[in-house]
Amino acid sequence: MLQPKKHKFRKAFKGRIKGKAPGGTTLNFGSYGLKAMEPDRITARQIEAARRAITRHMKRQGRLWIRIFPDVPVSKKPAEVRQGKGKGSVEYWACRVKPGRIMFELDGVPGPVAAVAFERAAMKLPIKTKVVARLGDTSHLEG
Amino acid sequence: MSDQLTISAEPRERAGKGASRALRREGRVPAVIYGDKKDAEPIHVEEKALNKLLATGVFMNSLVMVDVGGKATRALPKDVAFDPVSDRPLHVDFFRLAKGAKVQVNIPVVFVNEEESPGLKRGGVLNVVRFELDLMCDADLIPDQIEVDVTGLEIGDSVHFSDITLPKGSESSITDRDFTIAGVTAPSALKSSDDEAEEGEAEEGAEGEEGAEGGEEGSSEG
Repeated sequence: MLQPKKHKFRKAFKGRIKGKAPGGTTLNFGSYGLKAMEPDRITARQIEAARRAITRHMKRQGRLWIRIFPDVPVSKKPAEVRQGKGKGSVEYWACRVKPGRIMFELDGVPGPVAAVAFERAAMKLPIKTKVVARLGDTSHLEG
Repeated sequence: MSDQLTISAEPRERAGKGASRALRREGRVPAVIYGDKKDAEPIHVEEKALNKLLATGVFMNSLVMVDVGGKATRALPKDVAFDPVSDRPLHVDFFRLAKGAKVQVNIPVVFVNEEESPGLKRGGVLNVVRFELDLMCDADLIPDQIEVDVTGLEIGDSVHFSDITLPKGSESSITDRDFTIAGVTAPSALKSSDDEAEEGEAEEGAEGEEGAEGGEEGSSEG
């Protein structure tokens, strides 16, 4: 699963996700992309599950780019522990995603295949998404 | 050469975000015409008509006749700003063209003869580095697309700018290097077989929860 190789601080504040994505909102690498429509934390485990769903559907064809990276450590206190005594230990890594962000990109597969692959990936994610293509390309809407 | 498109527009009296938002609420898109050493002309166009032109796929490299109150201006769309979430067009820049002007345009690249490439036949993936080429063209001779022939490409081969022939009246804006347009990379089957092995190991060593997740996926695939 994705996680930073090193980090400056062990634990992070919870934070809030406000507004729309300031960048990363257009296709840069592939012909098709999966765009976030809601703000949320996407965990490394969810990214990995989505990646597997996409690669399995594509049957070893095409190429996938993951354009989000889980760089926020999320901590959690163990069960049945009283409040206080400091912040809990890091449980998992997550990525703060704002609406409009392209999370995955695909190329080298026909539009309908990409659309179904992204549909399966979207089932692994906690947010509403939509499939986007390059200007004038509507092949992903067929079938 | 790309077709000439036409869009009707109306002059915009008020500039600024308040006026622009009011226009968008009425189904109009604020736009501007500038260039040719004349004053910028704020206008607005119908969103439906603009969406139709955008859907053609050649809007950004076509001459557009912008009809402002009966007076037509020959222009080239320079930029379209989209809302990052809804993908609605928010604003359009039109560049006014003088007679015989040369313009910098991004022309989409289309790959042909993919069946003639042994590398692609063997399962290689066409890795496109540049979906568009930055060209300097005569305003009257803007090409629709640039065709790139991938005949004879093996895995590991690539197509560079020097391998293609540009249509008459076009030249590259990038002159200091022979850049790569696309390459044929090794089939992802090799990579994904590694992945599968990794996945297998991960699932074996993982907690019960992850194993259950993998099982679900397997059943949905099968």
